Amino acid sequence: MNFWNKIDTLDRRWVYLLVAISVILPFILPVKLPVYITPETQQLYDAVESLPDSSIVMLTFDYYPSTIAETEPMSRVALHHLFRKNIRIVTVTTVPLGGPSMAEQVTREMAEQYGKVYGVDFVNLGYKANYVAVLKGMGSSIEAIYPTDNLSTPLSELPLMNEVKNYDDIDFIYVVADNGIVDYWISIVNALYGTPVGCGVTAVMAPKFYAFVSAGQMTGLLGGMKGAAEYELLLGQPARATTGMDAQSLMHLLIIGLVLMGNIGYFAGRRQKGKKA
Amino acid sequence: MRTTVPVVIAFLSGLVLAVSIFFRPDKTIIGQLEPELLVWVTIIGGFTLFLGAVSITRVNFNAVQRRKKGWGYSLLTLISVFVMALPSLLPSTWSPLFGDAEGSIYDWLFQYLDKPMMATMFGMLAFYIASAAYRAFRARSAEATILLLTATLVMLWRVPMGEAFLRSIHTALPEWINTYVMNGVNMAVQRGIIIGAALGAASMSLRIILGIERTYMGKG
Repeated sequence: MNFWNKIDTLDRRWVYLLVAISVILPFILPVKLPVYITPETQQLYDAVESLPDSSIVMLTFDYYPSTIAETEPMSRVALHHLFRKNIRIVTVTTVPLGGPSMAEQVTREMAEQYGKVYGVDFVNLGYKANYVAVLKGMGSSIEAIYPTDNLSTPLSELPLMNEVKNYDDIDFIYVVADNGIVDYWISIVNALYGTPVGCGVTAVMAPKFYAFVSAGQMTGLLGGMKGAAEYELLLGQPARATTGMDAQSLMHLLIIGLVLMGNIGYFAGRRQKGKKA
Repeated sequence: MRTTVPVVIAFLSGLVLAVSIFFRPDKTIIGQLEPELLVWVTIIGGFTLFLGAVSITRVNFNAVQRRKKGWGYSLLTLISVFVMALPSLLPSTWSPLFGDAEGSIYDWLFQYLDKPMMATMFGMLAFYIASAAYRAFRARSAEATILLLTATLVMLWRVPMGEAFLRSIHTALPEWINTYVMNGVNMAVQRGIIIGAALGAASMSLRIILGIERTYMGKG
């Protein structure tokens, strides 16, 4: 068995070992290569930046705990930007498994940094079942769909919610998601009520949404951890996503290298077989 | 009767929601029906979650009771469901450990067990993807070669190291990938898929409203 045959039939445990090294090594020896801003990230940043003081933004936590490595940094940059600009925030989630808890934890943690008060500067509405009905219903009355917030406080007791009756009172919707719900924020909320929608989605979902950005139905797009890293750079606050960029870089390069090696091994093997025949 | 009633309910609900968009909610009865129906839908959605909990309990309880193969996993599932759900259903006024606020049993289990376990499961995909890419992503045909080259370019473009490498070849190469690959070829294909899927969803909805599609009732 020659070298290329060995490469072609490499034990998968070697691949697993290389993956582990590629993920761990950059955290010990960071490279910190420059991150360039894509136009889609810039557009989302500019949209939030152009909102007047005391505007009201609906921020969604439409993701499961499984994708927090990609999605939570997006929620954090969104909260940083919104709180920094004194924008008031209403958080919702269409994900029952952990959505309300993650919204509660991340938002309160960030609010504490900026000295924001619950009920006045931000409110967490939590989860309600059947997202299509929830999204459409909030167009008529948010209180009809969410009579109480996530911790069962009636909306009438929260000063911020006295100003927010439906989408007419929301200036921007900042969706952070890892599933198909984004389609409905665009096709129901943006299309029917005209509220601008900007999104942060996992890298694997991002290619789909370029069509919506181009059509003007979506105002800016963050694609995966790289999108969050770009946003952190725009905010001037490098954090988790920027740290993760080295590991992601090395991982991408490893996969490209493996694919390349696999193909060379494959073609070398084919050539040898052809010679023998 | 068991078929007719659900078909009539589906027809009326679908019709009202489809037509009500053309009527003002503050002036007409049909316009007022829409928000009312949407509240009903969220309430029914809550009951379906309850139904799911009942179903998972019944299936796993039966498996444990009859000592079916893998009954230990069913027992663990039951324990997990009830340990997580019961304290969160009790009012937090009784104890700060109840409910789902910070510091409750539910919150602790979610933050320190559920969340890391789910992230770990998802993170393990990286190992399988790397191994699968190594074995399966071969330039066997012209189409596979195009896919391979495009994927390589996009993977390089999406990370700082790859982008630095692309810029070393030509400073505008990353912008070209964004313009011609992501906002060009990719967008054109995605638009086709999105429009096709939307037409499919619209025709399926119409079939349900008109009672032609009945598989949701367990009928072919």
